[in-house]
Amino acid sequence: MSNNYFNTLTLRDQLEQLGKCRFMHLAEFTEGVDALKGKKIVVIGCGAQGLNQGLNLRDSGLDVSYTLRQAAIDEKRQSWKNATENGFTVGTYDQLIPTADVVLNLTPDKQHSSVVNEIMPLMKKDACLSYSHGFNIVEEGMKIRQDITVIMVAPKCPGTEVRAEYVRGFGVPTLIAVHEANDPQGQGLALAKAYAVGTGGHKAGVLMSSFVAEVKSDLMGEQTILCGMLQTGSLLCYDKMIEKGMDAGYASKLIQFGWEVITEALKYGGVTNMLDRLSNPDKIKAFDLAEELKGIMRPLYNKHQDDIMNGNFSSGMMADWANDDEKLLGWRAETAETAFEKMPAGDVEISEQEFFDHGILMVAMVKAGVELAFETMTAAGIIAESAYYESLHETPLIANTIARKKLYEMNATISDTAEYGCYLYNHACLPLLAEFMKNIDTDVIGKGTTNADNGVDNARLIEVNEALRSHPVEHIGGVLRGYMSDMKAII
Amino acid sequence: MNIEYQNCYFDFDQRFALKAIDWQISTGEHWVITGGNGSGKSALVATLAGYGDKLSGTVSGKANRVALVSFEVQAELIERERKKDDADITDVIAVGTAVYEILAQGHSNQEIVDQLIAKFELGYLLNRPFRALSTGETRKILLIQALASEPDLLLLDEPFDGLDATTLLMLQQYLLQLSQRISIVMVLNRCDEIPSFVSHLGYMQAGQLMHKVAREDLQGSRELLQLLHLKTSGLSVPATDGTSKSALLKADQPLVRLKNIRIKYDQLTILEDFDWTINPGEHWQLSGPNGSGKTAILSLITGDHPQCYSNDILVFGYQRGNGESIWQIKQFIGYVSTALQWEYRVGTSLRNVIISGFYDSIGLYTKATDGQRKIADQWLVLLGMDDRADQSFNKLSFGDQRLLLIARAMVKHPPLLILDEPCLGLDDINRQLVLALIEKICAAGKSTVLYVNHHAEDAIAGIDQAKKITKHPSNMADV
Repeated sequence: MSNNYFNTLTLRDQLEQLGKCRFMHLAEFTEGVDALKGKKIVVIGCGAQGLNQGLNLRDSGLDVSYTLRQAAIDEKRQSWKNATENGFTVGTYDQLIPTADVVLNLTPDKQHSSVVNEIMPLMKKDACLSYSHGFNIVEEGMKIRQDITVIMVAPKCPGTEVRAEYVRGFGVPTLIAVHEANDPQGQGLALAKAYAVGTGGHKAGVLMSSFVAEVKSDLMGEQTILCGMLQTGSLLCYDKMIEKGMDAGYASKLIQFGWEVITEALKYGGVTNMLDRLSNPDKIKAFDLAEELKGIMRPLYNKHQDDIMNGNFSSGMMADWANDDEKLLGWRAETAETAFEKMPAGDVEISEQEFFDHGILMVAMVKAGVELAFETMTAAGIIAESAYYESLHETPLIANTIARKKLYEMNATISDTAEYGCYLYNHACLPLLAEFMKNIDTDVIGKGTTNADNGVDNARLIEVNEALRSHPVEHIGGVLRGYMSDMKAII
Repeated sequence: MNIEYQNCYFDFDQRFALKAIDWQISTGEHWVITGGNGSGKSALVATLAGYGDKLSGTVSGKANRVALVSFEVQAELIERERKKDDADITDVIAVGTAVYEILAQGHSNQEIVDQLIAKFELGYLLNRPFRALSTGETRKILLIQALASEPDLLLLDEPFDGLDATTLLMLQQYLLQLSQRISIVMVLNRCDEIPSFVSHLGYMQAGQLMHKVAREDLQGSRELLQLLHLKTSGLSVPATDGTSKSALLKADQPLVRLKNIRIKYDQLTILEDFDWTINPGEHWQLSGPNGSGKTAILSLITGDHPQCYSNDILVFGYQRGNGESIWQIKQFIGYVSTALQWEYRVGTSLRNVIISGFYDSIGLYTKATDGQRKIADQWLVLLGMDDRADQSFNKLSFGDQRLLLIARAMVKHPPLLILDEPCLGLDDINRQLVLALIEKICAAGKSTVLYVNHHAEDAIAGIDQAKKITKHPSNMADV
């Protein structure tokens, strides 16, 4: 079926598309929602993203309705209830798609091919089709009718937050892109900007990127640092603590909630701040562990990036789709059987600081994963802004999912694409780190170090601090978080 | 059951402290703890349920089973339900825990649950998700949960606030019976609500239990209650900046015209065939039992209710659903309600909370003008909070937060000021202050006031139009 779009581009075009990412300024949005005013917007899919984006767009004065499959309407499924109870018009594809000026496709990736093939013949001439993820276009090579404008608008936060921030009078950071092969009237950018304004995204910051950059960076981030590293780290750290005779309930809790606590520090002040939460000797320890991990794992990160770039990853995954998800479901079942997954978090109090002090290895894993993912992406031609959003920025979101749901549910709830990549990573990374883990003891995971004093060598501390602060992910992170807090100025 | 506190000091996450508490509660005693907003009433009572860290002093004796109902507990439960909403990770909109499941949690005597459900006439909402209940309804569910846990010490923090008149009477009678068997400790802000069975009064000030008197000591009781009544004379409403929106409205056009309104969820109808026109200068009081749809009507006007797009609504000259944005509507409205207070979960400063009223935002995302800062500071003086202007809003007590949100609603002198039970959680002094402010705003004639309350004695001079709603029949049936 598929014809990988990226592979049809010349090297020059590939690099140009990958390198597209620019932080837009508020002044670029003075036209507000004008480009969409009076146009008929039809949303496909009424899950959390679909519903909440639609509520925002309507509250911004736009004409929004929902289209669902006939069966969902007849059976009054939850998606139908979501739309009707919120006072939206709901109709079938046949009823609504032909009337739409803009169609927002907010269904899961996996359904894109069938949904888009079904609606394309129904779409008006010169209409616009919007995606929130570019997999279908870039990896599956979906060809959209030449008269149709194809754009992407992707809020970088969960649907409920997209709504909550809008209601407060703000928004969430949003990525927009225009598919250059489908911009017949040159209106793509104006439409994407108006859509971002309609959801409130312009107030929190908009990144202008490309379909290619979005897909290649998104895939890389989710399968390595975001899901893969946290899954692998969870299993290794838990097994180590059990091997050393620690209480299973404590071990389970330290990991389940630890990722969330330590990445909260990451969210506010980057890798530097996360390591600054440790005492000086522990910080140096975490730094050294991370360096070692980076050395061991770098070839794996390179392989993931290579497979994503040349299309091997997506063709492998699509083959599994065609094979009724045999691999994916098998791996998912394996996850449910891991010791960590089966042990509920114990009823023990762990203070916020203790998660850092007893989780030095976890801090090192997050640092190694974030930096490696960022370095690998930028080395492959992805621009720093994209690489930052797809690595460091999203890590706390996944950590939060683990805190709430542990691994099995985390995997079941992220996109199938992310889940498939996560397992690939996990299966390769576990054996890779086996030797390294042999030398690990409970001082860096579980019990904390028992240093008699907090003394460190000055020269060494300066060296470590300097290395932390001068990493490129810290540089771009400082700039982007700065924009965010400028805009959210006074909160 | 005897509980004794000797020189106890408690810390609440370093944001509040109780000092030098000496207190004894003996079997058969019933206490009311009162005091100004932010004095530590709720904190003191919460220590009986194990909240707060005791730093020093001794507590001897304890109740076998304690139940606590408070705004903090209510907020906690709502927050917990909000967290259960996994819509952000599953892309599926969560329905939430049903009321009957909430009631079955913990120790719960099903017989008492059934009896109280019948008494409160709440059978119709047992299968509904807890999150979908109105403020008054959640409150009742928490009361039932507490009563059904068969406590021997019952702690009620402002139990009567937000209840409609019928329920209030019913609850008072129920407590009277209960008081023969168990000890009850209440926090009350209003001295007119102190039930007859209460045997002791306590007065809190700045984290200390300053006065304790037995109810029989008439002289002492009177003096204590007088402490609550201070004068609020010489009051004036701070001016607004030059951005008043009244000029944008036509004087001969209604502010609001609701026609044939219907609010419906699945099988459940909240409101049907409802009409209401609000003309400029007509001040209205809206009343009706808990769950009758008062808040729903208000949120149709403010644009916060999604079904405002499927109804015939004309507000400030905009026929809803014709390309206007929600911010164009909100610029004409000042609004305060308990739901807003729950939404207002930001760590911004007290001053910024007031300024955010100029921008209709929760939190402040725009640089304020010097003029707006000055006005906000005048409001802070009026509320007696000028020394705390830069402190963080989310660390304030419930009552203090409420006062600030009232100032936020009034700060721009909006053409329409909507006050949904504004005095909930306020002590006597601040209630008088707020009522006086509302009266002045009515009299000044620039704002039209729409006021919801349950307390007949909180009537306001100048508000002479009344709209009463009743519960829709389908909203009473079991679903």
